[in-house]
Amino acid sequence: MTSLSHQQADPALLNKRLEEAKRQLMQSEKLAAIGQLAAGVAHEINNPVGYVYSNLQTLEGYLTDLFRLTNAVDSAESLDDLQLIKKNLDYDYLREDLKDLISESREGIERVKTIIAAMKDFSYIEEEDFKPADIHKGIETTLNVVNNELKYKAEVVRDFDDLPNVECIISQINQVIMNLLVNAAHAIEDFGQIHIRTRASGDNVIIEIEDTGQGISEENLNRIFEPFFTTKPIGKGTGLGLSLSFNIIEKHNGLIDVDSRPGEGTCFRITLPINQPLTPEAE
Amino acid sequence: MTKIQLVDDEPNILSALRRLLKPQGWEVHTYNTVESALGGLLEHDYAVIVSDYQMPTADGVTYLQFAKQRQPDAMRLVLSAHGDRSSMIKAINQAEVYRFLSKPWDDYEVVASIQSAIDLYRLKLENRQLREEVDTQKAMLRAREEELLRLETENPGITRVHRDTDGSVLIGDHDG
Repeated sequence: MTSLSHQQADPALLNKRLEEAKRQLMQSEKLAAIGQLAAGVAHEINNPVGYVYSNLQTLEGYLTDLFRLTNAVDSAESLDDLQLIKKNLDYDYLREDLKDLISESREGIERVKTIIAAMKDFSYIEEEDFKPADIHKGIETTLNVVNNELKYKAEVVRDFDDLPNVECIISQINQVIMNLLVNAAHAIEDFGQIHIRTRASGDNVIIEIEDTGQGISEENLNRIFEPFFTTKPIGKGTGLGLSLSFNIIEKHNGLIDVDSRPGEGTCFRITLPINQPLTPEAE
Repeated sequence: MTKIQLVDDEPNILSALRRLLKPQGWEVHTYNTVESALGGLLEHDYAVIVSDYQMPTADGVTYLQFAKQRQPDAMRLVLSAHGDRSSMIKAINQAEVYRFLSKPWDDYEVVASIQSAIDLYRLKLENRQLREEVDTQKAMLRAREEELLRLETENPGITRVHRDTDGSVLIGDHDG
């Protein structure tokens, strides 16, 4: 026990532990969020996989037909026979449709690739350093991950300014943006709009996410950044999303604030410094 | 020709299905919005309607419910990438779908499901047609019977033929 009391006396070590615990909490919140998104992502992937798979089966049929023609080159009695086979194949349609089949299938596979890459970018654990990053690219990655949560609820309107690269931990900023986007979609009852605005302002960049949802009531507005505070039904939200978002932005020396009018919508505004203030290494 | 309606917000799904169904010789109509599909319902009588589940403006179950009111005979199928319990229950209980197919699909399964839906649709139509035929024939028979009855009351005996023992027809007033 002497070692424990010794450790307790060492604030640096305690701080380090606290940091570690926070990091773990953040990671598990991120995984929980991804878990909740999994059904949506499966839907997003099943669609392209669905048509690519079906197209491949069609392609098999087309190839059988084409081979029938090429095989007949050797066995046919005359050129007329070959032309008859070609005509019976509906060759012109086949030729035209093959092009579409291939390009649509490629589009499908690319869609799957984008989603998988976005998931990977998103769940990346190791990235802990502040690095200059493209905020817009981060937003697009996040949109790819949450697309299925949004597209049936809202039209996403991008209003992007020219932004310099921002010194940040982009995977964490993505997580904040994801939380805000998913919350925005949940706030919309039928179908609305989500505006994503970015602009540079002096030494800062500002990211705004505004929805046309039901808004947040006065008494809840003061509590939204509290850990475990949620208005979502049990199992739908951990109550940690905004609280961790707040921590992430704080860690980036930024600000997150919110404007909400019940019945009209909510706007979250993130202000991030373009360059992190220099801190002594041995703090 | 047998008409099939396909509704999905993803155009590439529609082309893949169109390719798949082409050799079957059905008339396939594709719509990538619920609104345009509703328009299709006003213009064509469909044997089978296959709809996606999750779509931007209305979900497939809501659409199929509407289609059911509009064209009660058309067979309804769902083709969905979203196979959770609640969506299936909704599809069965509210839209009374004939099949719930999942994406990615097996080509033969989709073709076989649509084929058997068409068979049922035809059976339904044939059944109704036969019933109507029976009804008209019954009505005709009744009219004839009534006419005979009327003649009989006006001129008793007129509806019967009297024959002699050798089979020859007797003409005259037999009541006298």
